[in-house]
Amino acid sequence: MAVRTETYPVPWYEGRFARWLVTTDHKRIGILYLGTALFFFLVGGVLALLMRTQLIHANDQLFTRNTYNELFTMHGTTMIFLAIVPVWAGLANYFVPLMIGARDMAFPRLNALSYWLFVAGGIVLYSSWFASGGAPKAGWTSYVPLSVQIPGSGQDLWILSLHILSLSSLFGAINFMVTIHNMRTRGMTWTRIPLFVWAIEIYALLLILTLPTLSAGLTLMLLDRQVGTHFFDPAGGGNAILYQHVFWFFGHPEVYVMILPGFGIISEVIPVFARKPIFGYRAIALSTAAIGFLSMLVWAHHMFTVGLPTGLQIFFMVSSMAIAVPTGIKIFNWVATTWRGNIHFDTAMLYALGFLVVFTIGGLSGIFLAVFPFDWQAQDSYFVVAHLHYVLFGGSVFALIAGLFYWWPKMFGRMLDEQLGKISFILVFIGFNVTFQPQHLLGLLGMARRVYTYPNESLWNTYNLISTLGSYIMSVGLLLILINMLTYGRRGARAPNDPWLGDTLEWYTTSPPPPHNFEEVPYVTSARPLRDLRRQLREEARA
Amino acid sequence: MPRRFIIFAAATAGLVILVGAGFLSWIGTSRGLVPLRPASPGARDIQHLYVFIGAFASFIFLVVTVPLAAFLVRFRSGGRSREEEGPQIRGHSSTELAWTLGPVLILIAIATVTFILLPGINNAPAAQNGLDVTVVGRQFYWQYKYPNGVIAVDRMRAPVGRVVNLTIVAPVWDVNHSWWVPELGGKRDAIPGIVNHMWFKATRTGVFDGRCAELCGVFHALMLTEVEVMPAGQFDAWLARQAVAQRRGASSLGHDVFAGVCAKCHGDQGQGGYARPIANDALFNDPAATRQLLVNGTRQGTAVMPEVGRGWSSREMIAVLRYLHRNLAPKTGGTASGG
Repeated sequence: MAVRTETYPVPWYEGRFARWLVTTDHKRIGILYLGTALFFFLVGGVLALLMRTQLIHANDQLFTRNTYNELFTMHGTTMIFLAIVPVWAGLANYFVPLMIGARDMAFPRLNALSYWLFVAGGIVLYSSWFASGGAPKAGWTSYVPLSVQIPGSGQDLWILSLHILSLSSLFGAINFMVTIHNMRTRGMTWTRIPLFVWAIEIYALLLILTLPTLSAGLTLMLLDRQVGTHFFDPAGGGNAILYQHVFWFFGHPEVYVMILPGFGIISEVIPVFARKPIFGYRAIALSTAAIGFLSMLVWAHHMFTVGLPTGLQIFFMVSSMAIAVPTGIKIFNWVATTWRGNIHFDTAMLYALGFLVVFTIGGLSGIFLAVFPFDWQAQDSYFVVAHLHYVLFGGSVFALIAGLFYWWPKMFGRMLDEQLGKISFILVFIGFNVTFQPQHLLGLLGMARRVYTYPNESLWNTYNLISTLGSYIMSVGLLLILINMLTYGRRGARAPNDPWLGDTLEWYTTSPPPPHNFEEVPYVTSARPLRDLRRQLREEARA
Repeated sequence: MPRRFIIFAAATAGLVILVGAGFLSWIGTSRGLVPLRPASPGARDIQHLYVFIGAFASFIFLVVTVPLAAFLVRFRSGGRSREEEGPQIRGHSSTELAWTLGPVLILIAIATVTFILLPGINNAPAAQNGLDVTVVGRQFYWQYKYPNGVIAVDRMRAPVGRVVNLTIVAPVWDVNHSWWVPELGGKRDAIPGIVNHMWFKATRTGVFDGRCAELCGVFHALMLTEVEVMPAGQFDAWLARQAVAQRRGASSLGHDVFAGVCAKCHGDQGQGGYARPIANDALFNDPAATRQLLVNGTRQGTAVMPEVGRGWSSREMIAVLRYLHRNLAPKTGGTASGG
């Protein structure tokens, strides 16, 4: 007996792959962003491991000279422009509309354009490995005159790639701001939006204010390289320090672009797993805005050794120290949130708590560096390398992993495995500290950054060996997260709509949400609409 | 039971004291948190600053982590359901004020101490017998110029107990470098078109290692330097001797330049390495052509030889040309013209 099956023609754009290529749905674009950014995170991580392996003992010959310079240039550029900034765009894409009860982003097609420009930027950057002269090798900061003098096309592709990525981020940032300003659901006032959304608001604002500066600087560099202008060339009347000012006027706010969304995630995760409201909502939201503002006044603390007048150095020391105050406010508020809570140690919470410890260390080493006479010692040394990894890995990446474990059930309708998650936390936390703590001491010993070898002395060898072993431990932990996502994340236990009993609107819809997000959105009367709903239901049941 | 408790408590206390004492004694050693012994007042004051900030930083770290750890233990769920909520505490204004003002006061203290120490770090003390040295950062070597015209490459000699004023520059056609000898003080960038100043006053003799701290290209990692601090009398004698020897062309300047400038890319014996072999190159029989190459550099595709010899004094150039001719020119070539 033959079974007749009715087949309906599926239009090509709804095909299994094609629907991802043509999508304008913020959730699909969010997942595309996340997937691509995590892929680049993996690549950038492999580059870092190659460098750590080269540095395992003095005078190793694995990757030297130009190859090593290519490795750290690509590692830095990848992690900053292709991993951390876009990974926030991914999470924000997925969750900002859900958290504010919107149907989609304000400009869905512009959103798709942002994503595809990001992919194009990544391809252009990585094509430089095949360019004449190889990949760029002037560091992610690409200081002139070196970056102007360096031959080959790698540096030009680096400039082109950053131009494309800047456009991508600009379009995304405009989209986020318009969405947050105009598409909040009824009742969601500025003091009721989730703190993650607050963070994305400032993230977007900083990108809009500072990315054009980077584009200007890169354009001048390109002209100096290809057209023979002398903007940065002192031989032709230009100024080599000008580029550093322009770059860091963008570059320091960029640091906060990379950390503020992480702060936002921590502000979401800690209260939910401590079963308490966030301590000091307004203080945290205000300090986010304050950090955003101050971040544009501190750029020259990257330039304390170029010979600025003492008065300027004092100004930039004081402004840099000032950032410690709003940052401290956040940390104290997070700690206070756990007070008298009912603390559940799920993996998301473990990473958030780990963040509190390591980010505090990163913030404190930042105070050392703000004090410019000490910075004259530590600038461009491994002390700075340790500091920036404590804030960018210990800050951004710990928060990112917390966010992934927290939101994965919502995005994919599956629970990640908790046991595997906890083992990964132990490995990452220990490995991270073992990798980067000795680097502070290497910096004090006199190890400059961006060197492929160092003096063959016992302390240098010991600290470098420890650091490299730590990076291997950390890699195993990160690999476990990847395995967790690829196995349990696809076939694990089905996730309920609200597995953590969350506070915010994304937990109101199904896991994963339908294309239109919500059947209806409740009227919002506080910063914790879901908790209000649960209470309402309980009271109705009791009545 | 109480006896076992006493033993347990004593053992724990002993362990804590042992670990604590070990940690504290480790902190202050060269293998601890203060790995270098400063050899100049500036470096010493910077280290004081570091220890001072470190004390505050450790304090703040404990203020954050100790309560956090206590809360995590005390308020763990311990099997309580997620439905059970903590008290609805949304904030506390005077607490917020306290942890805003507390850090402000600490930062003011750090800034104040910085301002107190700053003049001692930044300003060279006035001294009649000070020594002026110009430090030139080049791809990929350091050139030192003394007031009497003596030139040194990569190894600087300096007298103990006397103020050494450094003028740190890079030629306009070069790239950024940064001169850093940690034991003698902070670093200062050598940037084309910019003139920077720094000073040190060595408090003990010895050889102090330094390096370029700003990425300057392929051999950034090997752009090392040494500062040999010697007794003042010995230094003066060396400087006077060197001046005569360099004027006469009888110094080791040619060899020093070869080792600092040429050998990094072309090998210690000119056998080749990063760049092509130059041993037995007939070019060295032609001083004019060699000079041209050193001054202009060369560029074939993406392979570049920097203009290493541009801006050299004729004395330095002659010393190098003579050294290259004597040591690296083919031995059989009879057309040597001397240098």
